[in-house]
Amino acid sequence: MQIPVIEPGCIPPDPVSPDSLKGIPRQQTNPARRSIENWKGFVEHLRSQSVLVREEKSESSVFVTDAGGLAFGLPHGVVRPNSAEDISKLLKAAQRFRVPVTVRGGGLTTEGESVAFGGILLDMSSLNKVLEIDTKAMTVRTQAGIFWHQLAEILRREGMDYLSAPLNLTASVGGTLGVGGIDVNSPRLGCSCDQAIELQVVTPTGDIMHCSETENPELFERVLLGYGQFGVITEAVLKIRKFSPLTMQYYYYASLTTAIEDLQMLSKADAADYAGILTILDRAITLLVAFDSDERQKDFEKKWKPKLRGHGEFGFGLLMAKYYLLRPWKIEEALYIVSRRFTLFPEFNRAEFMRDGKIIDRTVVFSRAVWKFWGGRQMVIPDLSAKAEKFAEAVERGNAVCRKYFKYYTLYCVGIKLKGNLPRYEMSCIPPDASDIAYGCEFEPMLRDTDYSRDYLQSFKNEIYDIGVDMGLSYYRFGGMMKGYIRSVFGDELVEKHLAMKKAADPAMILNPDVIF
Amino acid sequence: MGIKKKIKGYESCSGCGVCLLVCPLWRSTGSMAYTRKGRAKAMQGGVAPEDIASSIDACFMCGSCEPACPEGIDIVGMNLEQRRRLNESRSSYPAWYPKNEIHTSSRNSKLPQTNTILMAGRNLDGDIKIVENIVSLLGGDKSIAISDDDGRDIAAAVEAGLPVPPERIALFISLLRNAKNLIVSEGILHRQLREWLPAKKVMGIGEALLNIQSIRKALGPDDIFIVESRGYHSDFERLVKFYDRLRKDTGCLMNLDLQRIAIPTGASSLRGAHNRKTAGCSEHSAWILKGRKFKRIVVEDLSDIEVFQEITDVPVVHLSMIVK
Ligand code: SF4
Ligand code: SF4
Repeated sequence: MQIPVIEPGCIPPDPVSPDSLKGIPRQQTNPARRSIENWKGFVEHLRSQSVLVREEKSESSVFVTDAGGLAFGLPHGVVRPNSAEDISKLLKAAQRFRVPVTVRGGGLTTEGESVAFGGILLDMSSLNKVLEIDTKAMTVRTQAGIFWHQLAEILRREGMDYLSAPLNLTASVGGTLGVGGIDVNSPRLGCSCDQAIELQVVTPTGDIMHCSETENPELFERVLLGYGQFGVITEAVLKIRKFSPLTMQYYYYASLTTAIEDLQMLSKADAADYAGILTILDRAITLLVAFDSDERQKDFEKKWKPKLRGHGEFGFGLLMAKYYLLRPWKIEEALYIVSRRFTLFPEFNRAEFMRDGKIIDRTVVFSRAVWKFWGGRQMVIPDLSAKAEKFAEAVERGNAVCRKYFKYYTLYCVGIKLKGNLPRYEMSCIPPDASDIAYGCEFEPMLRDTDYSRDYLQSFKNEIYDIGVDMGLSYYRFGGMMKGYIRSVFGDELVEKHLAMKKAADPAMILNPDVIF
Repeated sequence: MGIKKKIKGYESCSGCGVCLLVCPLWRSTGSMAYTRKGRAKAMQGGVAPEDIASSIDACFMCGSCEPACPEGIDIVGMNLEQRRRLNESRSSYPAWYPKNEIHTSSRNSKLPQTNTILMAGRNLDGDIKIVENIVSLLGGDKSIAISDDDGRDIAAAVEAGLPVPPERIALFISLLRNAKNLIVSEGILHRQLREWLPAKKVMGIGEALLNIQSIRKALGPDDIFIVESRGYHSDFERLVKFYDRLRKDTGCLMNLDLQRIAIPTGASSLRGAHNRKTAGCSEHSAWILKGRKFKRIVVEDLSDIEVFQEITDVPVVHLSMIVK
């Protein structure tokens, strides 16, 4: 397919999918607030069942937007459940009264998926108890509204840790299992949803079910990576491991492709416990590797370090100096890179995160750094996920789009170990043609201090997403307002299949409307 | 007049939620509405302080969230400002609000000229044995003077967001001008005193006592030392290093959790002092101890003693009492 060249800021006629899903534009606009016919009756009905609907503005305004900060909407009411039974009552009533229910964990979506445009916002953070830590079986049973950082703290007191979680630990466990959950150790341990052993789920019609690979496996496979379409996860049993502090090393590259090749080499060989790429523009490309044990680190240094083509800090500094001395008109860019380098990296080594030269609070380090250096009141992070062979090209093409639109941006690349060919990967962020390890890249402009129009940002996102359509890739965040792409990426047959499953599971189509369907 | 530092307020909150990681109220309620993020987002959404009064009132002012905030927001200042604005819009206050008037005269008639002044505050008040012990440990009457005017009325008013007349502040600090070091048990006064008297060294009882070798030596791996949270967070970056050295030297455990934040029991807050039960102090203290092995609890803040005694059988002592 030929994607036409477009100018920044201009939203061209849709090259992707005039027919993608009827009536879904590629331009991001807030959906109209839904009107609910018998809201009072619905609230009364729930009250009679001891489920409280909070209608005060002070309750709902907390949830007016998500981490993306581009979609704004208010629910008619907020429910903070005390149990799976409360959610069951809510969903049964929602089916009957046709009231949309938007489920929210940490609200870290970027396309408005966890923003309620009317109806009920189901705030899962009230279900935040760890129910059992089994250090023999190395599992934890937890309520799914718990945030990863709460889980990490509780596990830490037992000398334990989760396997992999999103870098931003203010995500909830349930929300993460629904979308994947990628960590810097995902090339080794896979995504968070693949750590789930067993789930308790409330289906869109209000049935409380247990599922695992052996019990109700179809539900298990639909709910994991199901983008909240097929049920609300209320409890999860997850794998855990022993806690260990980590040491981090950095290697610097001037070429994206070389860095990606080295990342893929390390990921494939399971050479480091953590590996990822973080860039400042496409000039200072850092390959981050980290280790849970001294043995792994020693092994890496003996076998793999000599093979890496990255430079040490000093050598790379000289290289950069040479590059910019020959291009004095790029002095502003050079200064940006230097200042970013000298503020960002010390952040990973702050005294309060370290003990005896090792990072002991990686959970906080990453959450804090992610927000400090990449966060803001608005976040635009389109991404692409690809099989290994297509990844370098996808990143180079996405990088060219970033260059075209923004002065300053960053790229973050990481591998995701797959657990075989599981049904949950179908129509998900895992690209259909990936095997063994898939790779993802986030393209994040630095929006601070500059006001971009929503249309400009949307044009940027569309151009990144178009690369995905063109190359047959997938997207980590494909929910929300870019769902118009789904049909083009996955094809009618697959989308119709999932739509039929959704209609069967959720007859009134009330659960997380507008996220996918 | 110097240039006023630009202070970031609720409008700068990105909603990242990193402050939740350390907030005792988030841990105990699991309700976003009761957190700093929740209040900032609600305010950005156009609600007035009176609409979120219960959340504003619930805050312990422990300051744990401030060092965590990646936006560098002056969270404690923002919390206090919100209380002040809330007070303007209401005529009745929660039961735990201070009843006593702000003092109009200083209780210090003659403060001896010493390098160091100790302000015992509400927390040490009434335990003359402990105060005497602290004075003797810190070098006796010649080195340290006890200020009768310990600013407890100011501390209570600051915490409650009530106005403190400038004359009262002037009176309070006028007698402290000759000293170099101020040892202040009311943690909430630390940041105020640094602002009012920038040349003075302001420290908590814990830091002052832990500089004494005999006290350091008396702490060991079987102890858990409970750092007072407000003073600690007001000088976080420096004190992280101070307490890291203590841990290395003594092997003792501390209530410094993820990101070295000092988990508060909440007992010294006005809410906790009024009613430990409704303030959830036992729950917070139980979380501090969870999964940790120790034979003695040593506290910096006297008001923490009873809270721990309620939930455990191990001895709970004030730091000043661990040496004879
Ligand atoms: S000051 Fe303490 S109680 Fe108040 S919001 Fe911050 S962390 Fe929570
Ligand atoms: S840490 Fe700071 S920016 Fe983040 S939610 Fe809390 S107050 Fe807002």
